[in-house]
Amino acid sequence: MAIEVLKERYSSRIREVVLGATPEQGGTRTHTITIGGDSTLPFLHFEGEVPHRPVVAVEVLDRVPEWSPTLTKYYEDVLDDPAAWAKKAVEQYAADLIYLKLQSADPELGDSSPEQCARTVKDVLGAVGVPLIVVGSGNEEKDNQVLPAVAEAAAGENLLLGIATQDNYKTLTAACMVHKHNIIAQSPIDINICKQLNILISEMNLPLDRIVIDTSIGALGYGIEYSYSIMERTRLGGLTGDKMLGMPVFCNVGYEVGRTKEFNAGVAEFPGWGPQEERGIVWEAMTATALLQAGGHIVVMRHPEAIKLVKKNIDAMMQKNGF
Amino acid sequence: MSRCRVTFLPDNRTLEVEEGLDLLRVAAMAGIELKSSCGGEGTCGRCAVAIKEGRALVGQGNLSRKNREAGYVLACRTLVQGDLVVEIPAASRMAEHQVLLEKIEKKEILAEVEKDPLEKYGLEPFSRKLTVELTEPTIYENASDLSRLVLGLQALTGTEGITISLAAARTLPEVLRQGNWQVTVTMVEQDGRGEIIQVEPGRATKPSYGLAIDIGTTTVVVLLVDTSTGLTIDRAGTHNKQFRFGDDVITRIIYATEESGGQQELQRAVLDTINELVDRLLVKNGLTPGDVHSVVTAGNTTMAHLFLGIWPGYIRLEPYIPAAAVFPVVRGKDLGLHVHPEALVLTYPAVASYVGGDIVSGALVVDIANSEELTLFIDIGTNGEMVLGNKDLLVSAACSAGPAFEGGGISCGMRATPGAIQRLEIDPRLEVKLDTIGGEKPMGICGTGLVDSLAKLREAGVIDRTGKFQPGLDGARRREGNDGPEFVLSWSQESGIGKDVVITEADVKNVIRAKGAIFAGIRSLLQTVEMPVEAIERIYIAGGFGNFLNLRDTVEIGMLPDVPAERYSFVGNTSVKGARVALLSQRAFREALELARKMTYLELSLGTTFMDEFTLALFLPHTDLELFPSVQK
Repeated sequence: MAIEVLKERYSSRIREVVLGATPEQGGTRTHTITIGGDSTLPFLHFEGEVPHRPVVAVEVLDRVPEWSPTLTKYYEDVLDDPAAWAKKAVEQYAADLIYLKLQSADPELGDSSPEQCARTVKDVLGAVGVPLIVVGSGNEEKDNQVLPAVAEAAAGENLLLGIATQDNYKTLTAACMVHKHNIIAQSPIDINICKQLNILISEMNLPLDRIVIDTSIGALGYGIEYSYSIMERTRLGGLTGDKMLGMPVFCNVGYEVGRTKEFNAGVAEFPGWGPQEERGIVWEAMTATALLQAGGHIVVMRHPEAIKLVKKNIDAMMQKNGF
Repeated sequence: MSRCRVTFLPDNRTLEVEEGLDLLRVAAMAGIELKSSCGGEGTCGRCAVAIKEGRALVGQGNLSRKNREAGYVLACRTLVQGDLVVEIPAASRMAEHQVLLEKIEKKEILAEVEKDPLEKYGLEPFSRKLTVELTEPTIYENASDLSRLVLGLQALTGTEGITISLAAARTLPEVLRQGNWQVTVTMVEQDGRGEIIQVEPGRATKPSYGLAIDIGTTTVVVLLVDTSTGLTIDRAGTHNKQFRFGDDVITRIIYATEESGGQQELQRAVLDTINELVDRLLVKNGLTPGDVHSVVTAGNTTMAHLFLGIWPGYIRLEPYIPAAAVFPVVRGKDLGLHVHPEALVLTYPAVASYVGGDIVSGALVVDIANSEELTLFIDIGTNGEMVLGNKDLLVSAACSAGPAFEGGGISCGMRATPGAIQRLEIDPRLEVKLDTIGGEKPMGICGTGLVDSLAKLREAGVIDRTGKFQPGLDGARRREGNDGPEFVLSWSQESGIGKDVVITEADVKNVIRAKGAIFAGIRSLLQTVEMPVEAIERIYIAGGFGNFLNLRDTVEIGMLPDVPAERYSFVGNTSVKGARVALLSQRAFREALELARKMTYLELSLGTTFMDEFTLALFLPHTDLELFPSVQK
């Protein structure tokens, strides 16, 4: 029986954002990564173009994290050395990008100076050739000192810097403007605020193709359906011509999954739940693949086995299905 | 209970009251109106007074530290314990409302348009005087005085079934003979039936007068109208005395229904307000209450209930049902109005609990029900009510904009009275130029000024599109206040209240919510008829803003649709205009009844449309910048 495939045609496409810069472009990366550019919903190759595959960024901290041992055992030898950690993530776990969180800048967690943080970023840049995502500690006041210093020290590298929020976007936007970086604009699962923040940032004259949006996510079982629905609405808005919604989407999966009970509880606590590590891997991989279906472009991940599964899934989803 | 003597300064007004009364009440008894947005709950902090001499029991309330340190107490929380001398600072006093007459001629400022809707209906007033000549009775032609008069009137007017009031009947025999069978009759008409309510010998010198009254939540306006010519002889306006029971209808309904005697107090307050205005008009024009024979009032549904003494309790409670939407016609004596005891008192019909007679009145004035063009009528006030439609359909809704545009809930907010900042300029060095009503020293900000402030603060970069004050700005005017960031519009040495006039971040967010509610209401109405914003061909703006509106600013902050300026008209107080038309044309009043019946009411609290639209509108001008093409830079 012949099947007629209904195809939707959208008036617009998601913006492309280029991360990293090679020596010819003024940076030191071995290659750049382009995300976005889709003219259809995720992976619907028969309907439109999906020019760039989604990418996996691997999370690296600048201090020893309080993570579950089922995770830290893979990074045991490098946990106190962000550069070595990043190198291992790229070489052994096939990270497309490194997501470096400058957690030690938090006044409660080490209070590293802006200069120290900038040095860490330089070290990581020296250790790997992939483009970098760098985010602050989450302490707004401190981040407003740290991130401009990082932006300056890494001028030319075309980093992806975060996190800008509706209450605190000016300093980071200005730093990205001056030193030519990209920005992560985060909104609290609210499509209106997502759009408003993009307007606010672009009105400071940062071009729209330098903005990556983080619509905020929940892990599987922790409100993922809300994230899914907002991401889908954002994508549909972007495809139907709303230029303030048509940005690639950033999903901080590792962090969200890393704080679920399913990831951290031992077998003794919940015998019926199966082995802890396997459970955690599946949880992280499921969350990431679901969000890729919703329209994620960058997923930040932690567990090497979960990364493997997600990359395999991306390979499969990027196969054109020949309709 | 012992009696205490309380003297208020600087009025130097003294009265004796019972011990234990609060000063807010005592001041009201002395005829001094204090500001009180919360209705004497001790939460708004506006009724600050100073005890100069004597003993009082001072209770806790929300009084600013500055005022407390300056020795002020809250009048509503202070109970009389003995003889007292109390000083009332200007800032706590309710300003005398003045009907603004000045017209400001500036580009893109909408001046009120004057077009008399009465032309369409023709003069057919509810009360009129008729002079008739009767033949003297004889022993052969011995019909009663009344039959003689009724026959004469029927021949003159064609009106059937004319009756007479008892009071008029009692005077009839003497008056007829005194006038030598020429009399002037005052007749009121209702549903095609006439009633004689007064007879005067001979030809009367004065016509029958009528009153058109707008009973607003905030202000009351009375027009004195000559029903024989349709001319408005005089007008007077003041704030509604119900103000001391709260700013908005909800607070007042709560007071009316939960305080013992509350409903009576509120009715008394509005009747007092009206009677004072009527007295003022009568004295000024050499008239007496007996000269006024018809009254038409227009007000929102709650005001109509309170005015007539009808229980308003269910208006506030889900599913928001008013006791009546069409109100009984009563007589002046039923309410104790300072008019002829038998004068007809008509009340404009309402559509629903939150779309009242004032809106029906406005819709009649702008003649939306006969319009070919898709027309939007908005009354911008505490309850942004709106009607969208044309000759084929009419949808109405009320969005709770809050009292911000009338100065409520704003730290230096005030109504459009002298001293209110109505326009301002902020230059790049953050220096400010102000324009106040009456050119007086700035005392606060009115609705127009608030709209202007938002537009100008945003242009100057003091606030961003979310209304957040931006850090890192130089200038003494941008500072941290007790309630967060604020901007000084007028320094204390230049202001009329002895302290700085400021606008705070909280004020800005308040105005954004108010304007957001109005725009969301418009979009919700448009969605029910599935039309885009551009489809609106005419927009009439009424109320709330004194006598003018800066259209550019209003569109720039995203309160009103970004359509060509020529589609807008500012129609001022349409509530009182509609009351006047109905007073002078029975046909217009019948049409108003029909109009109220035809209007579909859209309950915005149902479904998610309004809330979705509201969140989209909490941005300057709007999250969808495409809706405001002329504002985009």
